Amino acid sequence: MNDDLCDTEPNPHVPSQRLKAVSRNAVIRNEASCISCGLCESLCPYGVHRRIEGHVHLLPPYEGKCIGPECAKNDFYCVNRCPTRSLSVKPNVTFTSLGDFRWTSEMILSTWKIAETGQPLPLDHPANMGRSGGGFDTLAFKIPAAKGNPDPDRFSTSIELNRRKEGPRLKIGIPVYGGGMSYGSVSLKVMTARAIVAKQWNTLTCTGEGGYPDALVPYSDHVVTQVATGLFGVKEETIQRAPMVEFKYAQGAKPGLGGHLLYEKNTPMVAKMRQAVPYTSLFSPFPFHSVYSVEDHKKHLDWIHSINPRALLSVKVSTPNDVEMVAVGSYYAGANIVHLDGGYGGTGAAPEIAKKNIAQPIEYAISKVHKFLEKEGIRGDVTLIASGGIRNAMDVAKAIALGADGVVIGTAELVAIGCVRCANCESGRGCPRGIATTDPQLEVQNETEVMVRRVSNLYNAWRLQWCDLLNRFGMDDITQLRGRTDLLRRVPEGVAQ
Amino acid sequence: MAVYKRYHIHTEEALPRVAPVGKFDIVRAENCVNCGTCIRSCVYGVHKRDEKDGRSMAEPLSHLCKNCFRCLMECPQRALSMSPGKVYNSLGIGVWSPQRVFTMWNEAQSGKIPVFGAGYRGRFSGPGFDGMWTDMSEIVRPTRDGIHGREYISTSMSLGRKLRYLEFDQQGRLQTAVPHVIELPLPMVLDATRLGLTDESLKGMVSAAAHIGTFILVPVEKTGLFRGEEQQFIVPVLLGGTLELSLPESTRMVEIRRSPGWESLMRHVKSARPDVLVSVRLNAGKDVESEVLQIAKAGADIVHLDFGEDGKEAGNDGRWARDALRSIHTNLVRNGHRDQITILAGGGIAAAEHVPKSIICGADCIVLEKALKVALGCHACPDCKMTCPADLKTAPSDWVEKRVTNMVGAWRDQLLEVMGAMGIREVRRLRGEQGRAIFYEDAERDAFAGITAAERSG
Repeated sequence: MNDDLCDTEPNPHVPSQRLKAVSRNAVIRNEASCISCGLCESLCPYGVHRRIEGHVHLLPPYEGKCIGPECAKNDFYCVNRCPTRSLSVKPNVTFTSLGDFRWTSEMILSTWKIAETGQPLPLDHPANMGRSGGGFDTLAFKIPAAKGNPDPDRFSTSIELNRRKEGPRLKIGIPVYGGGMSYGSVSLKVMTARAIVAKQWNTLTCTGEGGYPDALVPYSDHVVTQVATGLFGVKEETIQRAPMVEFKYAQGAKPGLGGHLLYEKNTPMVAKMRQAVPYTSLFSPFPFHSVYSVEDHKKHLDWIHSINPRALLSVKVSTPNDVEMVAVGSYYAGANIVHLDGGYGGTGAAPEIAKKNIAQPIEYAISKVHKFLEKEGIRGDVTLIASGGIRNAMDVAKAIALGADGVVIGTAELVAIGCVRCANCESGRGCPRGIATTDPQLEVQNETEVMVRRVSNLYNAWRLQWCDLLNRFGMDDITQLRGRTDLLRRVPEGVAQ
Repeated sequence: MAVYKRYHIHTEEALPRVAPVGKFDIVRAENCVNCGTCIRSCVYGVHKRDEKDGRSMAEPLSHLCKNCFRCLMECPQRALSMSPGKVYNSLGIGVWSPQRVFTMWNEAQSGKIPVFGAGYRGRFSGPGFDGMWTDMSEIVRPTRDGIHGREYISTSMSLGRKLRYLEFDQQGRLQTAVPHVIELPLPMVLDATRLGLTDESLKGMVSAAAHIGTFILVPVEKTGLFRGEEQQFIVPVLLGGTLELSLPESTRMVEIRRSPGWESLMRHVKSARPDVLVSVRLNAGKDVESEVLQIAKAGADIVHLDFGEDGKEAGNDGRWARDALRSIHTNLVRNGHRDQITILAGGGIAAAEHVPKSIICGADCIVLEKALKVALGCHACPDCKMTCPADLKTAPSDWVEKRVTNMVGAWRDQLLEVMGAMGIREVRRLRGEQGRAIFYEDAERDAFAGITAAERSG
């Protein structure tokens, strides 16, 4: 049943780079009173205390492995057993500086962890919910007890992207594909890593609006070409090699405002790809200058279809009041995929006022569009894809239960790679962590190979979580979950599941 | 021939006068070995060597920290830690959240729209204006190339009564007396009556109002400080019940309180100075809908609705301004009086988005009050303490002018962003357009009706 996943042998663990510095607990060793007896090293089963062979002193505690003050109930609790009382364990102040209401510190840390191990989170893990007090964070599944250990190969997590009667078939192995992040907004290494993972998992990634770098050509069966309003880097051959072409009308984080690459990130390489002048700010205007009606929109889709009849057509729109009418219009104009991008989604740069205030959150839009398409009698012919604030495996499942066929993610992949969500992607040379930047001095921080493993591990963990969920509901195919709002319940803020 | 001039607020950077506040505190522990790795890892310049002794590290410049964690992760000694800024977390109260106060400071400093990467970080929704989203339009756009593009989005609005119809006699001569209206270039006026400003700061604010081209409400006893050009931007606020009429020639509008005898005071002003608009200030509270209607019927030009700085009506069961404004607007429309009165709304206006949202709910124009002080670096403490952390008493007027102008300029640009996204090219059209917003209660009902609520436990 698992034929759609072509190459998903589990990736070996990747070295932990992030969890070392930011952890839930601080383990403090008083160097003045510690006599380096090493008892703690032999006590701790988690590996917090270590000494390099031949060294006198112990290494600084590996706090990421510590389970915290609750360890006090164990007889191996280092703090109680230390003969000189040199150890203390307390919540880490640094941990509280990480994350925000939507991406809590718990969620970021857990994403890093599954990116390192590929192992799923339990379905009731606190990191499955944010603290935003609404939407996905107040929706939970009515999860029945586990029925034995599910065999992941027994479950299908694939979805068909072309649900019309005509046209090429395109099935992806997981109900997730990568959203558009352009060359310029992220580094070439990040783009390449995403494309490699897309191939491994038989899914897709997207060029974003910044051209189609040659490095992605080997993965072209898994790379969506985005056609956005600035038409940066859009050429005949980039459309011809794509299995799917995505029209970006609007982006959820800045609906109705167009794209924006600040001049410092427009390096000569980026400019060449975009056929623009280096170090000028690049605006992708809003809207398409040639589209002022559904008829114009259809003309656009026909134009792509004539260049590449084998490509599926996806239309990415934001979530206005009348989002259901937009979805219906897109379908009749010829789109295979209606891609709704909700207001709380990620971005490389957007006015703060737009992120919270303009257009509705994706949770509302999915439900509204799904119901309306059903009423119109065309739900079976449309693939409804949701994005914009989908952070983890359970968000994906909830989006599907609300009525989407699948989702698009961006930020979750970046967090898996090592993003801390500091929100400075737009400034200066870009991301200090070397992800959302093309600055050569910054981007060396990340190796393509490591990024591939981390993102692939993320997908692996997510897939196992979905299998767990399907197993409990007695389902064997993720498409059976679609529209099952009866399996959801509203929970007060702060309840895990 | 009149030369077309596009309205634009010129802004100029105005740095803070006191030590900047950081969102995060970086602490370097004792076990630092002064290796300097953090200097290389920080792209923002938080870590530097001690200027006097290059062998050791200086105190981290926490206010420059942008939360990237790189120095923490790269420190071989793990000597660095980060915590949410203590001062930052103590800023403001209620709707005046630390994030909003901090944002206003930055707007007042740079005059620019705050732009950041990554997605939204805050709560899903919230009470009052946080429980609504503005609409956007996928393909209809007034401007083809950004908000400052070729096609103009107008933020002008008119203060004063508008007629529902005109009457002519048989010879076709106009019989109706056309009331006087005043056009403002943006739907924001400043209110300095209750801010307790020094004369120096007040002068700065009046200059800012003149620079922007909008009104500023000033206590009548302070109006004597101003001469010449600036007088026309001043709205004297008559706090007492009587008036010795010595309004300067250039006064265009006055404000009176809705206290006993207000109607005769209004008639008095109108008979002495028919060219002056009268605004009636009213505390929003119980029965505000019928009071506004009454004020409109009595012939006032403008009603200034005063909400609390918590964004609510007075009283324990006061509604949020969002709900009160919708109800007031709807009530006026229903009674056929909406355009006979201009609604100014103030109180709890703590962020740029509150301007378009108030207008969508039914206000014509927004009154900025506490925000003006925050623009000067005020921490929005619950009470003014003995020692002001922003040292407002010594603020020079030219700096005050720049800060206030910058913030209002940034807010107007953000109003343009919201209108641009909606495909609305005139702010007058935004007023009361409740159908172009998404309200939390409606959206919840439409999307989640049928999903059962879990039993509340604990």
